[in-house]
Amino acid sequence: MSRSLLLQNCRVYDPLHHIDGEIMDIPIRDGKIVDSVPESASRIDLSGLTVMAGGVDIHTHILGSKLNTARAMCPEDHRADPVAATKKTRSGVGFTLPSSFVTGYRYSTMGYTTVTEPAVPPVKALDCWEELHDLTNVDIAMLPMLGNNMITFDFVQQEDLPGLAAYVSWILHSTGGLGVKVVNPGGTYAWAHGKNVRELDTEIPDWRITPRMILTSLCQAVEMLGLPHPLHFHPNNLGKVGNVETTIAQLESLKHIRGHNGRKHIVHLAHISFDALGMVEGGRPEWKDVHSGGLQLAEYANANDHFTVDLGQITFGPATTMTGDGPFQFSLYELTHSKWANMTVDVELPGGAGIVPYTYDPKSPTNAVQWAVSMEYALNIRDIWRCALSTDHPNAGPFTKYPLVLSWLMSKRQRDRWLTEMHPSVGQRSTVAESDREWSLYEVAIATRAAPAVILGLQATKGHLGVGADADIAVYDLRPDDIQRDPDRIVRAFSSAHLTVLGGRVVVKRGEVASTPHGRVWSSSPQVEESLHRRVVGEVRERFSRWYAHSFDNYAVPVRYRAAFETPMATPSVAES
Amino acid sequence: MPVVNVPCPFCGCLCDDIELMVHDGRIKSNRNGCAISKTKFLRHADDRLVGPSLRHSSGHELVSLATAVDHAARILSASKRPLVYGLSSTENDAHREAYRIAELVRGVVDNTSSVCHGPSILGTQDAGEPIGSLGEVRLRADLVVYWGSNPQVSHPRHLNRYTRPIGEFASKRTIWVVDVRRTVSAEAADAFYQIQPGHDLEVMSVLRALLRGHKLDCTEVGGLSIGQLQQMAESMRAAEYGVLFYGLGLTQSWGRHHNVDAAIRLVQELNEYAKWSMVPMRGHFNVAGANRTLTWTTGYPFAVDFSRGYPRYQPGEYTAVDLLQRGEVDALLNVAADPLASLPAAAVRHLRRIPVINLDPKRNLTSLIAEVNIPTAMAGIECDGVAVRMDGLPLYLRKVVEPPAGVLPDREVLRMIYDRMVSMR
Repeated sequence: MSRSLLLQNCRVYDPLHHIDGEIMDIPIRDGKIVDSVPESASRIDLSGLTVMAGGVDIHTHILGSKLNTARAMCPEDHRADPVAATKKTRSGVGFTLPSSFVTGYRYSTMGYTTVTEPAVPPVKALDCWEELHDLTNVDIAMLPMLGNNMITFDFVQQEDLPGLAAYVSWILHSTGGLGVKVVNPGGTYAWAHGKNVRELDTEIPDWRITPRMILTSLCQAVEMLGLPHPLHFHPNNLGKVGNVETTIAQLESLKHIRGHNGRKHIVHLAHISFDALGMVEGGRPEWKDVHSGGLQLAEYANANDHFTVDLGQITFGPATTMTGDGPFQFSLYELTHSKWANMTVDVELPGGAGIVPYTYDPKSPTNAVQWAVSMEYALNIRDIWRCALSTDHPNAGPFTKYPLVLSWLMSKRQRDRWLTEMHPSVGQRSTVAESDREWSLYEVAIATRAAPAVILGLQATKGHLGVGADADIAVYDLRPDDIQRDPDRIVRAFSSAHLTVLGGRVVVKRGEVASTPHGRVWSSSPQVEESLHRRVVGEVRERFSRWYAHSFDNYAVPVRYRAAFETPMATPSVAES
Repeated sequence: MPVVNVPCPFCGCLCDDIELMVHDGRIKSNRNGCAISKTKFLRHADDRLVGPSLRHSSGHELVSLATAVDHAARILSASKRPLVYGLSSTENDAHREAYRIAELVRGVVDNTSSVCHGPSILGTQDAGEPIGSLGEVRLRADLVVYWGSNPQVSHPRHLNRYTRPIGEFASKRTIWVVDVRRTVSAEAADAFYQIQPGHDLEVMSVLRALLRGHKLDCTEVGGLSIGQLQQMAESMRAAEYGVLFYGLGLTQSWGRHHNVDAAIRLVQELNEYAKWSMVPMRGHFNVAGANRTLTWTTGYPFAVDFSRGYPRYQPGEYTAVDLLQRGEVDALLNVAADPLASLPAAAVRHLRRIPVINLDPKRNLTSLIAEVNIPTAMAGIECDGVAVRMDGLPLYLRKVVEPPAGVLPDREVLRMIYDRMVSMR
């Protein structure tokens, strides 16, 4: 096989290089995009087709213990979507909880080449590393959760910011994570007492600290370390009617924090459809009084540029909700009386993650308004670079619904068609029906690859098609004039890539998986001064013997599981004071 | 120099504080381990299968590994409905190789959970499950209930390591045992509730009814007076952090998964009043891992059939005992289990009629009848890998000594069988 490849006559959408539909060739050599290739390179003519960098997903639950618990608990889900083995691929199941192999294949088929698991309990990171041996066709990044961790709390309570930063660094080294996730800071911990913490300044049980202190300290620690990805944030009070106010208050609390090296965005707000619920005027925080808060959050975003978001777009139909937010999942269980799993994780997620299957019904007045939240945001935000596409898979719907979400964003006709099938509440309690905005292919390329790559800090090699980028490329059979004629063409084209290239290798041809190479796993490798590192490891070791039920020596994920895939990113060094 | 903090590959506790002295490639002592752990490590070289062998009418004949692998591949390739079984006493990478074989031959995979905590999983599929972790129990629990479990015998360090030491977030702790007989664990507990055999479901349901404030028109249920039950329900409601550990006494007695379903719903409902979790007392050191690996590969935790080219799940149909009792399978690939010793007589009768390929470090009843025996390294002693603790914690197992000459880990032997089958196609 030739290591050089020339993609010819591509209609390129590459927003990081301001390229909006120009016809050009893309030369590839040794897995990278290069200036030119020799005459002998193999060629693929892509005349008339749309070419973008491979898709980058910033928030999708594809690995780890709670996903596996959900899979084991929901055989009925898999029954709806069996996937047979082929000569090139392994068998499995799909639907809302695809098995590992199928997860990789389906992302690849949609032209995605990088995906981020945003909720790794560090103590179970080994689980994720094992599983990703069976998840091919995509590069992966993982975000360990640290917002309810007692060791975090201890450093926060002592106001030991260098200590906290060194601890974060140690966790990232031990687990192979890329960045830091915070889920309902302090609230999940309170769930170990059967409680939640909804307000920024409420003290959490057993400790003299508040969600505000946890949140701001971790955000500062991330910026001190200069991690590639800013703090990844699931706010307090999630899924509660009227919570757009608390979400904005939490974003406000971080505004003063100076970004590393002058970077503007210091926090990534995940899955806004669950974070930006408004309330009707004079209403109470109950589902009957829900109103979209998407516009309010978009207005806040248009006036404040210290944060980025992903949508967590609700897609209608079956989903499986799973978060590290134990008390929220319990309230959802009380609402549905569906199956409910809760998983406690020692020191790192006391109270733990929850799982509840859920079906979003367009005829339900609340679900229809929930759908409108992130849609309204996406149609009113000025800067698409701060808005990544997601369905918070599988919380608001499976990732395989991205093409449908894109059709809503790109076509008013498609939205109107769906709105007629929805409960009329959506018209009364959101402005979605009034918006004429339609995302262009350029904007789609921003929200599905360029922006998430930048937000993750991977833009040196991901999210664009410039020289030096990884040859991760998606080709769609879609022409700009198709879109208006038939919005379903958008769905078809983005569901089934004409070609997907991962690291220079063709992995999908005409919507079929053609090869199954392993991607890489991107981790960060923050450096802290030796004396600080030694002090903190000593303190962690001591707390370990007090609080954990296994040995410190058996905590870190062994090299044997990481060596083949891990690609650490260098970051600057941090000192004690 | 001792080797420290070694996880013990015996039961679902996976105690990882074992300290071994190793001299000249032999394990001389085991500190911290229970009696079973000591035996497992110190006598790991006893009763070993001496080499790969094939069975003839006159007995087993030693053969080369290549010959044994080739024979195993031929049996599996010729089989119309092979079963891959066991897996609970080996590490996760071996599972992944076994599934590849099962998929290739379109066979059935089942692990030993179908005869232990399979009903727990069925209960979970009905109702979900608030799963606890051993660390949190140690730190926070003020009420610990063992139901249908005799940990002092089955998991000897469970009490001493996880539930007796009171962590800094609990001020007091009470330990109950609920069982059909007064076990040694009952003696070690603060309270013992003896119920009549087969009445777990009723007792669970009555506790739920009492929690909800219903009045009952009887004086006694399952051997306990309403007064006692009322007191239990009140203590459970008054707990700050409760945990229910449950064993085969619940999962394999009359009612099976219905019992677990009732237990789950009881614990879920208790979360309305206090924090409650539950943890199955998983037996083999990596039976929880077998469920996990199969789940990420196929979506299903046990009883998976690949005959149509994709995974299907049906406990009762694709579970080992049922397949064997119906005489449905025509070959068995057995990895790290002893089905001849543990399955019911009707299943064993069929096992004796079909070719069995047996991968295990040691001689056992199954190795006596196996057509092909291939000795393998002991996971967690002679080869590394990952196992999953009863609460879902993955732990890295160590290789502390070399396996006997020529003996490979399960995963490597399985890979050889797979490769041989592919080359024969």
